[in-house]
Amino acid sequence: MAGVVLKGRFPRRRLIRIVAANLARYLFGSAARNWARNLGGTTPALGSMTLLLLMTGLVGIAGFALYNLEQYEAGQASLLHVYLRDDAAYQDVDSLWDRLANDPRVANVTFTTKSEALARAQQIPGLPELAGATGSNPFPASLNVQVKSIDAMGAIDAMVRYDLAVDPVNPTSYDPGAYQRIQQVIFGSAVAGLIFLGLLGFVAVTVTANSIKSAIHSRRDEITIMQLVGAPRWMVRGPFVVEGAITGALAGVVAGLVTFGLTAGAISAGSSGFMQFAPGVTVTVVAIAAAGVLLAGVLLGSGSSLISLRRHMES
Amino acid sequence: MRPLVIGNPIVRFSGVTRAYGSRVALDDVHLEIQRGELAFLVGPSGAGKTTILKLINREIKPSRGEVMVDGIPAHQLKASRVAELRRRVGVVFQDYKLLPRLTALENVAFALQVADLRISDEEAKDRSLDALEAVGLHDRGAALPHQLSGGQQQRVAIARAVVAKPPLLIADEPTGNLDQETAWEIMDLFSDIAAWGTAVLVATHNVEIVTRLQRRVLTLVHGRLVRDQPAGEIGRMAWLASS
Repeated sequence: MAGVVLKGRFPRRRLIRIVAANLARYLFGSAARNWARNLGGTTPALGSMTLLLLMTGLVGIAGFALYNLEQYEAGQASLLHVYLRDDAAYQDVDSLWDRLANDPRVANVTFTTKSEALARAQQIPGLPELAGATGSNPFPASLNVQVKSIDAMGAIDAMVRYDLAVDPVNPTSYDPGAYQRIQQVIFGSAVAGLIFLGLLGFVAVTVTANSIKSAIHSRRDEITIMQLVGAPRWMVRGPFVVEGAITGALAGVVAGLVTFGLTAGAISAGSSGFMQFAPGVTVTVVAIAAAGVLLAGVLLGSGSSLISLRRHMES
Repeated sequence: MRPLVIGNPIVRFSGVTRAYGSRVALDDVHLEIQRGELAFLVGPSGAGKTTILKLINREIKPSRGEVMVDGIPAHQLKASRVAELRRRVGVVFQDYKLLPRLTALENVAFALQVADLRISDEEAKDRSLDALEAVGLHDRGAALPHQLSGGQQQRVAIARAVVAKPPLLIADEPTGNLDQETAWEIMDLFSDIAAWGTAVLVATHNVEIVTRLQRRVLTLVHGRLVRDQPAGEIGRMAWLASS
């Protein structure tokens, strides 16, 4: 006799569906409806948060570029270019090269010819015109000395400065204060940027928290009823957190798109010049920054809501 | 005299004192409410009636003493676990507190579903209709609160309070906004609810109802429980039975 196949009713799956439907309605649906209803009160929060996120995105990209620049400068700071006289004898150059290569403070020494120096200079904005104007190659050949410690730079400079093979007018690239000055400028810029973002962040959080406060006030009866019928605390507070997250996400999308548009536009408009001033900032980096801005918006919005809930909602 | 009902009380206050700053709202109160009992809290304004209800519902904590509700120590309950207690306590207010954008049926179903997300729409609707039918409003489920009279709104509020079948119902001046006839209807409802096993504690100023219903009356004056008259012993000679 053939058996009868009974279909299971999957009660757990049904339960999950019911819980999901209720969550969608009472948590997300309710939050979205109230967000739309309170749009007038939310607009200042949306504006200030968009501005904050836009500035964060742009300052973040600028910070990344400055970091790369600082790394580059740190490498450059321990690289000493010893400029050679155009009429230097080969044996003098060899002697100097050997002396430097055998010095325990030196990591390595490479040689750059005049034509290589010219080719390199032509990649730097403004210098090709200078090279072209003179009619001859003004850039000297050089020994590029990678010094192990930045502290030894002065001593190596003093050692080679009066050598026979070295250009007496412009002997080396050594500038004792240059690296420190760059570090100071970068540090100052970072501090100023952080203070600015901190102030903007404070304003955005305060404005958003206030808009959530007014949302709490306008839904006081509903909150009271939910609390009194025994709705879990997360269920009562959840819609406000979602409401904040919606504000943050929307601000994040706008700020992310503007950040991406501005920076990607700048990259495509002047790629070589842009890379000179903002090394390492590519379209991929900008896309990641835009995504970060969106995520920061969601976190900022929901975080501001939580702050407001802690302060303005009783249990 | 009636014998004392000894059992597992739904509410027990042991030496409860509650102060708001320097003002003592409740002073060393001891009381028990039994399951299925209908009791009235009476007293002048500021006597501490609402404070007792708030303590039961863990809206506030006592300054001193213990409050047990259905075996849960409300006096030391953390905020994160208050919902657990409130699911066992139905609440009715003087101003009904219905959500104006929801129909009568939706108001009742809302209370059911936000307290327990596992309840489906069909189940919530069925149970809400049952509750509305129990309060005599089965044909007004689709009405919005503003389309209902005060008495009908209070009935919806009662349906909402009992739809989850809590073992305790508390009501703060539930007839305060109603005429005398409607107030009687509401009190009849409370009697029915108590008859089905839910303890009902009503804070009220309505002396006529309290006197004629012949139920237990707890009298508060200046935060002190000055009289606890058992059911059936209300009237001019009631002081003979008072504790």
